[in-house]
Amino acid sequence: MVEIALGTALAAIGAGVAIGFAGLGSGLGQGMAAAGSVGAVAEDNDMFARGIIFSALPETQAIYGFLVAILLLVFSGLLGGGQGLPTEAGIVAIGVGASIGFAGLGSGMGQGIAASSSVGAIVEDNDMFARGIIFSALPETQAIYGFLIAILLMVFGGILG
Amino acid sequence: MADEIATLISSMGLTQDTFLVFCVIAILVVGAVVVIITSRPILDVYPYLNPSSRVRARKGRLFDEKQISELVETNNVDEVENYLRGSPDYADVLDEYPLDKALDVERANTYDFVARLAPKEIKKPFAVMSRKTDVDNIKSLLTAKEVGLTPEETRELLIPCGSLYEELDALADSDSVTDIVTSLDGTEYSTALEDALPQYEDTKMILPLESALDKYYLGKLLRSTDVPSDENKQILYSYVGTQVDVANLKLIIRAKEDGLDYDAISPYILEEGYQLREWKLKDLMESPDVTNVVSGLEGTKYAEALTDVMPMYNETGSVALFEKALDKYASDYSKSLASKKPLGIGPIIGYLSQKENEIKNLKIIARAKREADFPNSKIMEMLI
Repeated sequence: MVEIALGTALAAIGAGVAIGFAGLGSGLGQGMAAAGSVGAVAEDNDMFARGIIFSALPETQAIYGFLVAILLLVFSGLLGGGQGLPTEAGIVAIGVGASIGFAGLGSGMGQGIAASSSVGAIVEDNDMFARGIIFSALPETQAIYGFLIAILLMVFGGILG
Repeated sequence: MADEIATLISSMGLTQDTFLVFCVIAILVVGAVVVIITSRPILDVYPYLNPSSRVRARKGRLFDEKQISELVETNNVDEVENYLRGSPDYADVLDEYPLDKALDVERANTYDFVARLAPKEIKKPFAVMSRKTDVDNIKSLLTAKEVGLTPEETRELLIPCGSLYEELDALADSDSVTDIVTSLDGTEYSTALEDALPQYEDTKMILPLESALDKYYLGKLLRSTDVPSDENKQILYSYVGTQVDVANLKLIIRAKEDGLDYDAISPYILEEGYQLREWKLKDLMESPDVTNVVSGLEGTKYAEALTDVMPMYNETGSVALFEKALDKYASDYSKSLASKKPLGIGPIIGYLSQKENEIKNLKIIARAKREADFPNSKIMEMLI
């Protein structure tokens, strides 16, 4: 069995939490947005492009989670064979994962609901497109906060650099 | 610090591996709790997302006030028909049927559409509503036989939709009302019709049969929503219940206008109303006249709508004013329900109610345009 330092193993848990929960939120959100979009496209073929845009919006949370997970894996030495992380940095890594993971979960679900509602509003009234995008983009902020804190934790927690 | 953590771990009697296992378990437990808590609202909303978009797409195609005004401004019924051909919802049905039948078919298709796409938990009442076409077709058959129409003329009256259409179409050749009732044996309407048959045979009027059908339909509709366990079902129950109350009230008001007493009205009333329960309905049926019926409604949600038209009723003596006020109340109430649950049943109720109104208005316009020199201002007054 490969010998892995405790800090590195904790960072691996952090990476799992980061992509796991962010991906879950993103998936649920995207599922909701897509369900609304399919309904809209079934009634109006012209809604396809706009439905795709709204369905793609909750993808970002998974991207943030994926990025953070990759950074954790690289800087903890799991990818690339670098030096392993000390234990305290490993604990920080769990915080990093939780930060983007849970923020991404909530943000993704919120964005999915808003996006699905927006698709419904647009298929009823075409002029709602711009306003729908604005409302659907609002829940993105929570994921951005989570992502920022995750980066700050990595920088100042001794993981990056 | 790493040493301190290592000391802490070993002071708890754990190895590094055990500590890791505990970390994983803790994360899994926290994660599971978060997922369960956060996904519950999603599970409530999810079944409605696709249907909501579909009905909102159709709601967006309903005629707005400007288009209805343009329809009112048309010169004759052919222009109305041509105008409707420009709408994708009506173009197909107008290719197959004359205007009035096309509107009936469109209404039946709308109820079928909603019954098909409604989420499972609220499907039953909409499935009952989609059977209204069968009830209307049976009534048309009975009326046709009562007035002695030929089989061809009778078939013209039938709406070519509903689960019983083919059987009813074959019954157009029946010789009498009694034959039609006995031929419907085995259908869900047979008991209601057979119970009312002796009354028909005594009076030779089909009113008891028609009322028995209405009562059966409304009872089935009300019972289909009998467990309002969540907000969506509560809204649906209010929507359906209001329809039942409005139907009961219309019947009582018309009966009182004709001077009928409690014994004459009660067989046709659905006793298990929504806001107007059995005791209240009994009070209303025992009222001596229309004015007392309206005053007896004080404290109910229907009072204001009917009291407002009382002065006009006193001037004109027309109970149609009350019927229109009740229709408008039901429509406004449905609109208010529609905005209560935008990620639930709201859009479905909103669409159904507005589509129903649109078809009623189109029928009013079409009928008015068939009459020479019918003033447009009068049509506007008649619209819901």
